[in-house]
Amino acid sequence: MPPFLIALPSESLTIPDSLFPLVNTLLDMAKKKNKQVIRPWCWYCEREFEDEKVLMQHQKAKHFKCNLCPRRLNTAGGLAVHIQQVHKLEPENLPRIDNALPGRDGYEVEIFGMEGIPAPDVADYKRRKEIELGLNPGTISQPQAKRPKIDNRPLTEEELRAQLAAHKALMGAADASVVAPSAEASGAVYGAPPQAYAAPPMPAASPPMVHPLGMPPMPGFMPGMPPPPGFPGAPPFIPGMPPGPPPPGFPMPPFPGAPPPGMLPPGVPPFPPGVRPPFPPPPFVAPGIPPFTPPPGMSPVPPTPASASISPPLPPTFVAAVNPSITAASNSPPTELKLPNPTLAQTNPPFKKATDLKWSDPNFSPEEKRAIMAKYHVPKDITNQVRSEGNPVSSQPSDENRGKKRARAEDFL
Amino acid sequence: MAEQIELSSPPFDSVSTVRFSPTNPSHLLVSSWDTTVRLYDVNANEQKSKFDHRAAVLTCCFSDADHAYSGGLDTSVRELDLATEKVNHLGQHGDAVSTMRHSKDQNVLITGSWDRTLRFWDPRASTPQQSSHNLPERVYQMDLVNHTLVVAMASRLFNIYDIRKMDVAAQTRESSLKFMTRALACMVDGQGFATASVEGRIAVEYFDPSPEVQEKRYAFKCHRQTIDDVDHVWPVNALAFHPIYNTFASAGSDGTVSIWDHKLKKRLRLYNKYHSAVPSIHFNCDGTKLAVGVSYNWDDGDAGNKTAERPSVFIRTVGDEVKPKGWSG
Repeated sequence: MPPFLIALPSESLTIPDSLFPLVNTLLDMAKKKNKQVIRPWCWYCEREFEDEKVLMQHQKAKHFKCNLCPRRLNTAGGLAVHIQQVHKLEPENLPRIDNALPGRDGYEVEIFGMEGIPAPDVADYKRRKEIELGLNPGTISQPQAKRPKIDNRPLTEEELRAQLAAHKALMGAADASVVAPSAEASGAVYGAPPQAYAAPPMPAASPPMVHPLGMPPMPGFMPGMPPPPGFPGAPPFIPGMPPGPPPPGFPMPPFPGAPPPGMLPPGVPPFPPGVRPPFPPPPFVAPGIPPFTPPPGMSPVPPTPASASISPPLPPTFVAAVNPSITAASNSPPTELKLPNPTLAQTNPPFKKATDLKWSDPNFSPEEKRAIMAKYHVPKDITNQVRSEGNPVSSQPSDENRGKKRARAEDFL
Repeated sequence: MAEQIELSSPPFDSVSTVRFSPTNPSHLLVSSWDTTVRLYDVNANEQKSKFDHRAAVLTCCFSDADHAYSGGLDTSVRELDLATEKVNHLGQHGDAVSTMRHSKDQNVLITGSWDRTLRFWDPRASTPQQSSHNLPERVYQMDLVNHTLVVAMASRLFNIYDIRKMDVAAQTRESSLKFMTRALACMVDGQGFATASVEGRIAVEYFDPSPEVQEKRYAFKCHRQTIDDVDHVWPVNALAFHPIYNTFASAGSDGTVSIWDHKLKKRLRLYNKYHSAVPSIHFNCDGTKLAVGVSYNWDDGDAGNKTAERPSVFIRTVGDEVKPKGWSG
């Protein structure tokens, strides 16, 4: 059914009265259908499964797999103990749980299938499920019996004021014009834990993406509700996305470019600029992060992470310091290395399986290759001159010059 | 105490060698491709002195608390007075000086070079160079324990000498590893040495040529990782034995450092991955600290240098992880 129709009535009062019977019917259908809607889901990646057995298989394969050997463990704790005892990694050095959502990649929570999921996360998940399915808040997350109580109770002045303030705090940064919370909105806010909406669910710097197109504020932005799919924190529950084993290269599932129907007008980018997609690139090796974390699907890891924003300060004075003094004896660096004894030339034996050997030259070391670079090359003649003069002190002046230049470079840095 | 500190004024270009003082557990020499040798007090995290060279420095070593030596691409061998920062030019090789060691017993400096010679130096003599010994290949690595000098060369060749009788090599060997020799370190008990290759593998070998001792030698894989069914294999750039426990550390271009118990053939610890390759490591004289040079190692040539991170030198305070299990001594 079109979520559009269902999403509207709960948040908007603009529906013609004549439509209400239809909407209510649809809502009832949705409720009935969604009594059993919450299927087993994985706390680490919020993927749904047909039953808990499949979920547990998934967790073993995707989240509790050891990076250093083929073993799969049943729980995060088991994995931690395995890595520490078998691979001798320091406890503080454990790799994050693979393929996990940000903030859920730690070992503190002991998850086994659906067991052990922290209660706030369960509630949060259910609320988001409701939004995704276009249900009234509470259809899944709250016992049905309690709803009328909340809805029917008249709010006191203070409560109304507090809710208004909370709502303004939530909406204020994004859109100051929306001040009057609807009755339903208040109802949704009421009784929700304050931390659920005390802070906007997304960086205030990026306003809701619908506004530029003149659309009304998005229903999904009700206070107390997590943002709709396509926003940080909300995993992509894409209607029609088949459950089952994740596609290969799982950490970055094919996130549809088109937003769910009815939620976003076409042409609006799925992620507002500056907002991270719900599935960020998997946690990758940043300095200080444990080794052996590159998740499957990554390209070969260069030994130096490309994240380097600063290239190392090279000695900029090097060429200048050397070249003037060698104009006479100038010989450009050799472009190729020659084997001093070609009969001893080596060849690397072949590998039995696919191998990326990081240094594959069998005859010259990295240092030898590096030494013939123009930046490092020093003609031998000049040092021989020094020697032929038989006066070691003659090397001092140029060394001192260099010293001063180096000092300047140091200042610059 | 923090487990690890980073020196606040590291070299500007890749680290080539880190070397602790033989007597002062907090004095560390660092030679670099930025053409300097720096002396640090690692406890104070302070650079004590700096020696500029004409070209990249590949190697350095201490002789006593106040004197050190350096060598590099400019082919000359220098004596560095650490207290006065005076440099004494001892002489020249025919090509870059790749490695050096000082023997306290013989009071001699030994240098190895890509010019396929070993040279012995006495800094106090009027002509410091005492002797030169020809070798079949370029010298890559060298290490000394007591009077036994192990020289690792290109083309996977090894010579083992008694430095009191340098006229002929005591043993000549071919590496038991199939790939280029990248690192070498002698056991502190003088029984043997460990060597490593560019193909993520370490071999443990023994000096005693008798078959029953030679039977004990072995090799194992390390510093590698399987990603998508492809083995990624990094060079093992450095090995260092612990001065007391005789365990050893290995460092690779994968940015990791591991501690190994070569008797039990067990890994004792895999340290946190560093931001770049680890070209050199060394334990201090009392075995409480491990210096770890971290910088780009030219494994991807000049292209990799452009994206490389700033070099760092870390000083790791080591604990029981360097002790063999059940150590009683």
